[in-house]
Amino acid sequence: MKKILIVDDAAFMRLSLKTMLEKNGFEVVGEAENGRKAIEKYKILKPDVVTMDITMPDMDGVEALSEIMKFDSKANVIMLSAMGQEEKIRDAVLLGAKNFIVKPFKEEFLIKTLSKL
Amino acid sequence: MNNKEPMLEMFIFETFEMIEQLQQLMIDSEKIKKLEIDSVNEIFRIMHTIKGSSGMMMFDNIANISHTIEDLFYFIRESKPEKIDYSILTDLVLEGSDLIKAETEKINNDKEADGDFTIFIEKAHKLLDILKASNNLCENLENDKTKKIIVNEKEAHKYYLSNDKTNTNIKLFSATLFFDEVCEMENIRAFTVIHKLNEIAEVSYFHPEDIIENNETCEVIKQQGFKIFFKTSYSIEDIRESFMETVFLSKVDIEQLDDENESDEKFKKKDNNAIEVIIDNVTDNEKANYKTTQRQSLISVDVKKLDMLMDLVGELVISEAMVTKNSEISGLQLDGFNKAARQHRKRLSDLQDVVMSIRMVSIAPTLNKMNRLVRDMCKKLNKDAELEIIGQDTEVDKNIIEHIGDPLMHIVRNSMDHGIETEEERIASGKSPKGKLTIEAKNTGGEVWIIIKDDGKGLNKDKILKKARNNGLIKGKEDELTAKEIYSMIFLPGFSTNENVTEFSGRGVGMDVVIKEIEKVRGTVTVDSVEGKETTTSIKIPLTLAIIDGMTIKVGNSTFTMPVTSIRQSFIIKKEDVIKDLDNKEMILIRGECHSILRLHEFYNIKTDRVNIEDGIVIMVEDQGKTRCIFADALIGEQQVVIKALPDYIKKVKGVSGCSLLGDATISLILDISEIVNL
Repeated sequence: MKKILIVDDAAFMRLSLKTMLEKNGFEVVGEAENGRKAIEKYKILKPDVVTMDITMPDMDGVEALSEIMKFDSKANVIMLSAMGQEEKIRDAVLLGAKNFIVKPFKEEFLIKTLSKL
Repeated sequence: MNNKEPMLEMFIFETFEMIEQLQQLMIDSEKIKKLEIDSVNEIFRIMHTIKGSSGMMMFDNIANISHTIEDLFYFIRESKPEKIDYSILTDLVLEGSDLIKAETEKINNDKEADGDFTIFIEKAHKLLDILKASNNLCENLENDKTKKIIVNEKEAHKYYLSNDKTNTNIKLFSATLFFDEVCEMENIRAFTVIHKLNEIAEVSYFHPEDIIENNETCEVIKQQGFKIFFKTSYSIEDIRESFMETVFLSKVDIEQLDDENESDEKFKKKDNNAIEVIIDNVTDNEKANYKTTQRQSLISVDVKKLDMLMDLVGELVISEAMVTKNSEISGLQLDGFNKAARQHRKRLSDLQDVVMSIRMVSIAPTLNKMNRLVRDMCKKLNKDAELEIIGQDTEVDKNIIEHIGDPLMHIVRNSMDHGIETEEERIASGKSPKGKLTIEAKNTGGEVWIIIKDDGKGLNKDKILKKARNNGLIKGKEDELTAKEIYSMIFLPGFSTNENVTEFSGRGVGMDVVIKEIEKVRGTVTVDSVEGKETTTSIKIPLTLAIIDGMTIKVGNSTFTMPVTSIRQSFIIKKEDVIKDLDNKEMILIRGECHSILRLHEFYNIKTDRVNIEDGIVIMVEDQGKTRCIFADALIGEQQVVIKALPDYIKKVKGVSGCSLLGDATISLILDISEIVNL
């Protein structure tokens, strides 16, 4: 069972992701509401996959991704983005993000993207 | 909130919360006529989040509004226009956020979120155009956008490698990729493919080329596929496998190019006018300068559950009394039991404190809503006023919060409408041109006070009296009315001193709602005013709604309970100590002060054999500096009681604020000391 860390500033999104993931047999091991906490939790929880929102207070997703990649170059990070954030995703991909999902997304999209890892 | 899906409930809760935050940010920015970078980022983030969440829930109209506002703030963030009409911008954002709020409200009430917002969205687009035009930024913005992907030669990462590598195993390939129709952002997906392919191959050229900077390439990729030319030593199968790891790839055509010359030409040609996509060093990217918003880790709990918990603790307090004060064990020597009972009592009181504290919420959001109201009314009424809020940190029971929102709004509206004068009037009467409203919240012992004060024209007693007389609202003698009694007539149903009905107040309904709502939480409202100078409205609400430390007393067959905190002392007096005034009212002189005596059996007409003042007990109670001596038969004892409202069929009883069930199952009436001292 893949262990997932959910990073999103919106509690609603965290709940949505958690519900979808758990329904499909993933184990959500932790949640973080900003980039800074995501890094902390990544180091402790060592999840198999991170779903990383981009726009967040304190530290955004791309910055957090960069730090996580420094800590673990094999980290599997999936970016959660919205239309209009093409450049941020490009940056993220260059930094090592494994893939990205465009909000709003359907459950099958999320699962398909995660199972490809 | 009835049983909604947790996800929907979370969406509603979070959206309301963010809208509140957004509106406050806008109002604050408008005040200082400046949008701080932190605020812009925060507003952008809020709109972005709402857009994302509502998109997930398929509330497209909410997503559309938030998208429009997000665009607006994207522009402001990226091109930092100097000329912004903050008033218009604030109006627009407030309007938009109100629309989102209204739609969310509909969802909350299980209705369809079906609003049509084309007009608003057009308006927002227009404002964006104006902003662009007035700041001459139409082109600048474009430049800005392209600037980001401009080649930075020093730190260039080249994704096209020239064909001068000489490895004999290297073969040339071309591949055409098609994506699933629904996957979106094909251009960025293509970019990730290239990025990944670089691990096993040398990518020479791809088409369309400008995938990053041009989102229209999505369409090209959809129709013609994404074409890549590359060199690698891997086999065609390995390459296919690598491609297939890409999500949402529907079709891959890979072709080995045998004719070296042909491909060479191709590569050369491409090499000559190679477009190099260069990526800025991301770590050097402007670091997000977000305001560190303090967020606590919170869980949301249905208020009903808290109410239930509170009720249960209340019942527990009663049953505890039923056990420890049980008549079957009274008079017995039970040392061990008493010790255990004391400990039990202590735990119970800790539990109560925790339960009470869970229900305590900050009053700040409720008070801050008034900022918006004052701002809107200033604009509409063409008045100038500032609002000062004191004591935002005050915490009150959740239940109270729900009941003070509307009254507060009505009082502030009334102050703005009828109290604060126009600038000219203020100058004429020697006041500063800007009106001032103050809302102060504080905890004073057992009560929460909310004091709303304005420095407007004050209340006119004669006008109020005349109006009340015309409406037949005056009972009893007119000349016996105190000033405060006259002022509080503005809260009577159907009363309105202003003939001009305005958008905000003066419809003759409203102010009576204040009293009604506040009385629901056992609170009181008083008004004081200095004509021409100020009006002060004070709302006082008992802090703890349910449980008090009570002293139970007996009068005939009836029992009464009063809060221990209001008792100054109790004593037995002799007949000789009692003095009588001209009206034959009984008084007693204690330490040089005269206190009037209230005989409960007379006041409530209760039969008792202890009418002789020497046979009973006198209890001196105090409330806000006023004292009164109550005469009762005897003290029964101190115990915690759970206050329940009087049943509806009992109309308001003077001096009684509720009732309570005691440990021995008798019903006791709770004395309202604040009323008794004024009887």
